Amino acid sequence: MRYIRSMTVGVLTLGALLLGGGNVRAESVLNVGMAAADLGSLDPHRTATTPDKAIIGWMFNGLVRFKPGTMNPESIEPDLAESWDTSPDQLTWTFHLRKGVQCNNGYGELTSDDVVFSLKRAADPKVSSFSSDFADFASIEAMDAYTVTIKLKQRPPSLLGILTNYQGGNIVCKKAVEKLGDDFRTKAVGTGPFAFAEYTPNQSITLVANKNYFRGAPKIDKIVYRYIPSDATRDLAYTSGEIDLIYGRQDQVWAERMKSDPHTVVDVFGPGELSDMNLDITKKPLDDLRVRQAIAYAVNRAELVKFKGALTAREAVSIIPHDYLGTDEHAPLYPYDPEKAKQLLAAAGFANGVTIKAIQTTLPSMLNTMQIVQAQLKKVGIDLQLEVVDHPTFHAQIRKDLSQVVMYAAARLPVADVYLTQFYHSRSIVGTPTAVTNFSHCGMADAEIDGARTATDSAKQKELWKKAQDILVEQVCAVPLYEQLQVWAHRDKLDYGYKLDASLTLGPIVNETSTLK
Amino acid sequence: MTVAPATRETGALARFGTALRRHKMASLGGGIVVLAALSAIFAPWLSPHDPLEQDVLLRLAGPSADFPLGNDSFGRDILSRILWGGRVSLYVSTASVLIAIVLGGAIGILAGYVGGLFDRIVMAAMDVLLSFPTLVMGLLVVAMLGPTVGNLILAITLTAVAPFARIARAPTLTIKERDFIEAGRALGFSNLRIMIVHILPNVIDEILVMASLWLATAIRTEASLSFIGLGVRPPTATWGGMIREGFENILDQPLLAIFPSIAILVVMFGLNMLGDGLRDTSDPRLRHE
Amino acid sequence: MLTYIVKRLLVGVPTLLAVLTVVFFFVRIAPGDPAFIILGDQASPQALAAVRHDLGLDQPMLAQYADFMAMVLRGDLGNSLVTHQSVWGEVAKVLPYTIELTLTALAIGTVLGLPLGVLAARRRNEFIDYAARFLSLLGLSFPAFVSAILLLLAFAIELRWFPVISEARANDPMSRLSALALPAVNLGLIMVAYVMRVARSSMLGVLGEDYIRTARSKGVPAGIVVWRHALRNALIPVVTVVGLYLGVLIGNSVLTEIVFNRPGLGKLIVNALNQRDYTMLEGLMVIYAFFIVIANLLTDLTYGMVDPRVKHQ
Repeated sequence: MRYIRSMTVGVLTLGALLLGGGNVRAESVLNVGMAAADLGSLDPHRTATTPDKAIIGWMFNGLVRFKPGTMNPESIEPDLAESWDTSPDQLTWTFHLRKGVQCNNGYGELTSDDVVFSLKRAADPKVSSFSSDFADFASIEAMDAYTVTIKLKQRPPSLLGILTNYQGGNIVCKKAVEKLGDDFRTKAVGTGPFAFAEYTPNQSITLVANKNYFRGAPKIDKIVYRYIPSDATRDLAYTSGEIDLIYGRQDQVWAERMKSDPHTVVDVFGPGELSDMNLDITKKPLDDLRVRQAIAYAVNRAELVKFKGALTAREAVSIIPHDYLGTDEHAPLYPYDPEKAKQLLAAAGFANGVTIKAIQTTLPSMLNTMQIVQAQLKKVGIDLQLEVVDHPTFHAQIRKDLSQVVMYAAARLPVADVYLTQFYHSRSIVGTPTAVTNFSHCGMADAEIDGARTATDSAKQKELWKKAQDILVEQVCAVPLYEQLQVWAHRDKLDYGYKLDASLTLGPIVNETSTLK
Repeated sequence: MTVAPATRETGALARFGTALRRHKMASLGGGIVVLAALSAIFAPWLSPHDPLEQDVLLRLAGPSADFPLGNDSFGRDILSRILWGGRVSLYVSTASVLIAIVLGGAIGILAGYVGGLFDRIVMAAMDVLLSFPTLVMGLLVVAMLGPTVGNLILAITLTAVAPFARIARAPTLTIKERDFIEAGRALGFSNLRIMIVHILPNVIDEILVMASLWLATAIRTEASLSFIGLGVRPPTATWGGMIREGFENILDQPLLAIFPSIAILVVMFGLNMLGDGLRDTSDPRLRHE
Repeated sequence: MLTYIVKRLLVGVPTLLAVLTVVFFFVRIAPGDPAFIILGDQASPQALAAVRHDLGLDQPMLAQYADFMAMVLRGDLGNSLVTHQSVWGEVAKVLPYTIELTLTALAIGTVLGLPLGVLAARRRNEFIDYAARFLSLLGLSFPAFVSAILLLLAFAIELRWFPVISEARANDPMSRLSALALPAVNLGLIMVAYVMRVARSSMLGVLGEDYIRTARSKGVPAGIVVWRHALRNALIPVVTVVGLYLGVLIGNSVLTEIVFNRPGLGKLIVNALNQRDYTMLEGLMVIYAFFIVIANLLTDLTYGMVDPRVKHQ
């Protein structure tokens, strides 16, 4: 059948050559294999999952962007905005837009109208998942077709961070949103290097090069983003040559096997998703600091990294991830000391062991981790019972405050404030009206977190963030486990065109500099 | 005067025995099933290691003297996990089929015996249950209620009840008109006693055949759900879950998927042979030849 | 005859409505929140409430049920909670794939299973009978996902004859066929086992019947009689298999679709479960139930057509 097919292709190509007078360049198609059953949403203000974020990174721009391959808030560069000015109090920001940027799929030039519409949309809780990022915004206004002014109620820790090509900062085209309505979810329109072409539910999304891209036409003509949920099927499809860029299994064995193929490049990059084991300090027996400390002493972080693999995982340094603006890279974490753990348990009255219950997802990467932790805790007499439920149930139940221990893996905008607020500020405690993801019910660092938020002096700000981390670590609101890096692999014929160290979209950026030989 | 004995009562059980003795296939199948059941029951004593004990250094290791079938991706002993996995299969399948037999049998006999509107309503409800394919029902129940042994049993029982109810109902309809039942009634025996003592033995034959086939279905369903990722919660060893894990690691260590696949294949084969043999001996049309 | 069909179909309607009712309440009582899955883990409680309101999930359950039933009785299964597309539309997009797969598998099962069954019956207790029965038992015992993995490794990875991902564009028959091959063979080989068994036992049943004996006594060679009969009644084993084992067939097609990453109802349902897409689940369940009702009807009808002794009352 393979022969028949290649013969057919040959005949067709020959015909095309004859008709086109030899002026035909083979279309370069990048086939991507993604670990998901289907698209969630292409609407950048609604994307909840890694599979959605990765593809959106190829379709949209922000006012500003992280330099491709990086995620350092200090290296943010112009994107749709050519330049910007700030008032002395840093509460008014004026952005000057690049002229002549075209919306994809024929929706006309992108102007300040689109930018204002897009940012207001991202700030609207009814249509956006990221509205809380815009809490400090007072107004967003178009001064003329190419000027946008943003007024703030108070200065957020990183305004430019919010306006990058990430989550709510992605700029959508107003006319397309209005015209497509509900269909925007599957046919989203931005200004990025690749434009939506086709969506086949449960199968794939096809993007085509945006020939009018303001940084130049992409050299890759087409991207087919295939949904292949099974790790094994995806691996096999890569082996058989059906895909060129593959979302990896986040473990050592996988990375090693891929590395052994001479024509494969394994991409391991940031951000690290930090797995924290959040301990609910209001529930017995975790209300006893000694029990929490025992857990902290019993967890062997080095072994976790060893299991996950040094190629793809790294040790946690604090209760918030590595490399964020404000992370304490040497937070006073409890060392691995099972004897100390046993003593503490005995002192707390649990010499004969203690049982702790956790609701856990069936998602293999998270479940595996928890199973190792379970084995580690068992050695000191802590029986961690896992009630395993499917992923949606897991998310629903932990938010109803039903689990004593919640393991949660997350990466956020790389500024300490975001992570600290969402996970450890009393405002964010689950079950409250302003709940986000504070599962530990800790609130003892509220003053420091709030203080750092509004501090104008950056040294003072970092000092407060460090203090907040010290308090939370010492009180064992959470036990950090390890950081999972993003793992992808691609054939060496694909060249991204930049050095990939990190990508907030959790996938490699494919843009106008990328080539496929 | 005594009520005429239920003529087939002893016949059914005796034939079960003769079937096994005379029918080579049935006895071979029965042998396999018994062996599998024994190894599952005695798994705690037979297995060389703790099925949950992890050893990071032995991840995906091939067979060795200490671990005859090798280690899985957590470094756990595959042989021990297969033995323990058999317990889950055995437990889920026997429990769900037994409940289905008791419940389905009771429903069928009751519906057939009482008749009328009650019969129609009950059998309509059975039709609704029959409209769910077993695996789809399993997916629905387990995904929604959680992957526990109890929910698995619930899901399989729900689909298995209706066929057993139908089997039990049909002969009840004919038997209840017979003389000895009338006689029993005339003697003032309670309906319950008549149903249990006189109707049950007459339907047990078909139920046994059906049971052996449903055991296979139950094992397959349990394994399929685990394979899809909705089986009994990890780290519990199940065959389907092991095959799933093996498939995910197929390029690194194919043995991981092969051993549990063989286990499931052998047991299913045994059950199907047993069911076939029993059917051959209880199906009068085939028996006469 | 026609009145019989209409009557049977009408009897099916309450069953389908009951299925819908059961599924409707079951999915809503179970934990999990579609709004959360749509919005992601950083969504605020207000945003969640807004989406729940849009989806109508903040209404009392009985009110939701009344609305739903009113809609269903108008012949509308509603829109998917996640994609906002009509459930019918979403199903219609992938249904051809599932039907194509199932029918091809049935064809494979019939073409191989029928002759094998007849042969086994004629040579009862000879080697070929034992071999055929052994193979069919093996087929019955193979979980569909195990055979699928084996086929995948052999023909897509080692030999590279067929693609791993059974995904194809509707407008390219060649790629569609090569994508169909492995999944259809996987499902088909299992069907062979079922068809062979049923063909064998129904053949055994008629071998002893009068007209065969009569024909033989008139000097017609036994082989011709048997094969003519077998072909004339070929439909029976196939229809019986579909009627009796449609549930198994559906289950196996779900597993096959998952392993081969093939679009179809199976992938749709697993996805709908993960996303807690209530309306999609209701739609899929009622469609499965509909297939089963139709299959039962077809079975009875075929028996009636082939065997005049079965009368439709």
